[in-house]
Amino acid sequence: MKLDKLLDAIGMVDAELIERARITPAKKSKKRHIRWTVPVAACLAVIIGLSVFFSLKGNTSPMILNTYAIAQAQYPETAKYPTSIGGLIYSEADYDKWREDVAKRRSYMGQGENLDLFFKHTASEFLKNCESDNLVYSPLNVYMALAMLAETSEGETRQQILDLLGAKSIAALREQAHAIWNANYCDDGAVTSILGSSLWLDEDFDYNKEVVSTLAENYYASVFRGKMGSKSYNKTYSEWLNSQTGGILKEYTEKAEMSPETLLNLVTTIYFQAKWDGEFHKENNTTNAFHKATGDVNCEFMNQKITYGNYYWGEKFSATSKSLKNSGSMWFILPDEGVTPQDLLKNEEALSFMTDPLDWEQSRSLKVNLSVPKFDVSSRINLTNGLQRLGVTDCFDFTASDFSPLVGNSQPAEISAAEHTARVIIDEEGVTAAAYTELRLAGAAAPPEDEIDFVLDRPFIFVITGEDALPLFIGVVNNP
Amino acid sequence: MEEKKILELYENRSEEAITQTKAKYGAYCLSIAMRILQNREDACECENDTYMKAWNTIPPKKPSPLSSYLGTITRTLSLDRLRRKNAMKRSELVWVSFEELEECIPSDKSIQEELEAKELAEYISTFLQSLPKHEANVFLNRYWYFLSIKEISEKYGFTQSKVKMMLSRTRSKLSDYLSKEGIFI
Repeated sequence: MKLDKLLDAIGMVDAELIERARITPAKKSKKRHIRWTVPVAACLAVIIGLSVFFSLKGNTSPMILNTYAIAQAQYPETAKYPTSIGGLIYSEADYDKWREDVAKRRSYMGQGENLDLFFKHTASEFLKNCESDNLVYSPLNVYMALAMLAETSEGETRQQILDLLGAKSIAALREQAHAIWNANYCDDGAVTSILGSSLWLDEDFDYNKEVVSTLAENYYASVFRGKMGSKSYNKTYSEWLNSQTGGILKEYTEKAEMSPETLLNLVTTIYFQAKWDGEFHKENNTTNAFHKATGDVNCEFMNQKITYGNYYWGEKFSATSKSLKNSGSMWFILPDEGVTPQDLLKNEEALSFMTDPLDWEQSRSLKVNLSVPKFDVSSRINLTNGLQRLGVTDCFDFTASDFSPLVGNSQPAEISAAEHTARVIIDEEGVTAAAYTELRLAGAAAPPEDEIDFVLDRPFIFVITGEDALPLFIGVVNNP
Repeated sequence: MEEKKILELYENRSEEAITQTKAKYGAYCLSIAMRILQNREDACECENDTYMKAWNTIPPKKPSPLSSYLGTITRTLSLDRLRRKNAMKRSELVWVSFEELEECIPSDKSIQEELEAKELAEYISTFLQSLPKHEANVFLNRYWYFLSIKEISEKYGFTQSKVKMMLSRTRSKLSDYLSKEGIFI
C-alpha cells in the first residue's frame, strides 16, 4: 500500500534529521529571562506576607514553627524533572540542569559499605515481632537519628552509638551521614525521598549552639525549643511531623505529643515516593486470596509480565525486584513454604540479601510474571528496647548518659522517646513511602525455566532501595 | 549514563545495557509507541521489543545517535503492530496524518520507478536536508513523531495556522520532488 510505504520510508530517514526534530529549541533572549525574574521575586514576597498574616490568625504553621525553631533544616534545592523528559517535547536546558543534580547526588553515593552489620542487626531486631502485624522499618532513617544522637553526646554514650553504627570516629560518622543524606535526598517532582530528623528541646535547656548548628548543617536536622507539654508546642510538633511525611501519616501525627516531663525528644521521619519503571495496568488486576497466617482474605493483585526480570534465590527464600523510575528498586522476598517472614529475619543468608541484594550471586535473568497485592502498610516501632538490646543503653538513662555537648554538665538528660513511624503504599503507579511472592516451584533452587510465575499471595518481606542501593525501607506484609 | 557508555555495554554484551537504555530512552520510545498505538499495553510491548531488537543488532551496528535508532525501531514495530491488529481501524491520530500524506504521492505514474521503502527513505532524506531546518523539523514532528498541530506549534512557538501552512507547502514540495526524480511509490 502506497501510504504505508511512504510512512515506512519517512520512518527510515537520516538519523540526524530525526534527532534534530526531537529536540525542543531552547528559549532564547536573556532580556526576556530577566524580565520574568522580577515578577517572580515579587510574587515570592507576597507569599511570605500571606504566611505571616495567616499565622497571626493562628491558621498556619510557619510562624509557630519559627517561634520554636532554633534551627530549621534547609534542604538542598533540586532541579525539577522535566515533565515530559524522554518524550517528544522537552527542553534540553531543563534536562541538563536535572542531570547535573543527578550527577551531584551520585557523587555522594557508595559511602555505606560498612553499614551491612547495622542494617542486618537492626532489621532483625526491629522487625522481629512480625507474627501477624505489618511492620515497616527504615534503616537509613534510624541511622541518621543515631548519628545525630552521637553528635549530642560524649564518652560511653557516644561510643555505644558509634559501635552500633560501625563508625571509627564522630568525624568519620559525620562525613558519612552527610554523604548518605545527600545521596538519598531527592525532591525533583518525579521522585521524593526526604529523610527528616528533628530534636525537640525543653525551654529550660541551656543548649550548645555549636552542636545545634552541626546538626542542622550536616544532618539537615531541625531543632526546636519550647515548653514541653504545652498545647502550642505539641501542635508545632504534630505539624512538623505531618509536613515531613507528606500528610500520609496523619493518623499518627495528629495524636503526637510530648509530655511535660520530656527533656529531649528525638524524632526521625522518612517520606519516599517514586513511580514504577513500567507501571502496572489496572485492567490486568485480579482479585485473589491472600493466605494470611490467620486465614484467607481477598485482595486486589496487580499483575505484570516483566520481560527482563530478575529472579533471586537463597536457602529459604526466593525474590524478584521491580525498578523504580529514576530511583532504586523494590525487592519482593517470598519465604519458602513452611518458612515465615519472622524466620527469614533471623536467617543470616536472608538478612544478607535484604541488606545488600544487588550483588547477590544466586540470581538469574528471566521473564517474571509478577503478581503482587496492592497494599498500604504502616507501623510505629518503639526503638528504645531494641536499641538497648543492641548495646545503646546509656542515652536512655540519665544517671549514665552524657549529653554534655548539647546541654552542658549541669543538666542531666536522657532520651525519653525514640519512635519510628513509617507507611508504605504501593499501587499501579508506584510506591509511596514503601510487596510478596509465591513461587510455584519450591524455593531454594534455581528456576528450571526461562519464565517464572511470582505470586505474592502469602506473607512476604519487601525492601525498597534508593539509587545508591542502601535500604530505605524493609517491611513485612502480613495483611495487605 | 552517556550514550557512548551504553553502547560499550552492548559491545561487552552486558545486560546492564538494556537497563540503562530503558532508563534513558524508555519514556521516549514509549511515547512514540503510545502515539501510534493509543494503547498502553501494546505500547509497552513495543517498547520492550525495541530493547530486544537493539540487543540483537548492537553490535554489529553502532548507531549514532542511539535515540534515533531506538525511536526508529519503536516506530516501525508500532506501525507493524497497528497494521496487524486491524488494518482498517488505525488510531485517529495516525489516520489524520495518513490522509495528509496522500498529498505527497505523485499522481503522474508514467515515468516513475518503483522503489523499496529504504531507497525511498534516502530520497526523502535528501529532500528534507534541502529544506530550511524548521520546515524539516515540523514535517518530521508531524509524520515521524506524530505530534498534533497544537503540540508542534507549542514546541516551536509558531501559530497553529503557520504550522498547517508549512506542512501543506512541504507536502506539496515533496510530491513535486518525487515526481521530478521519477519516483513511483
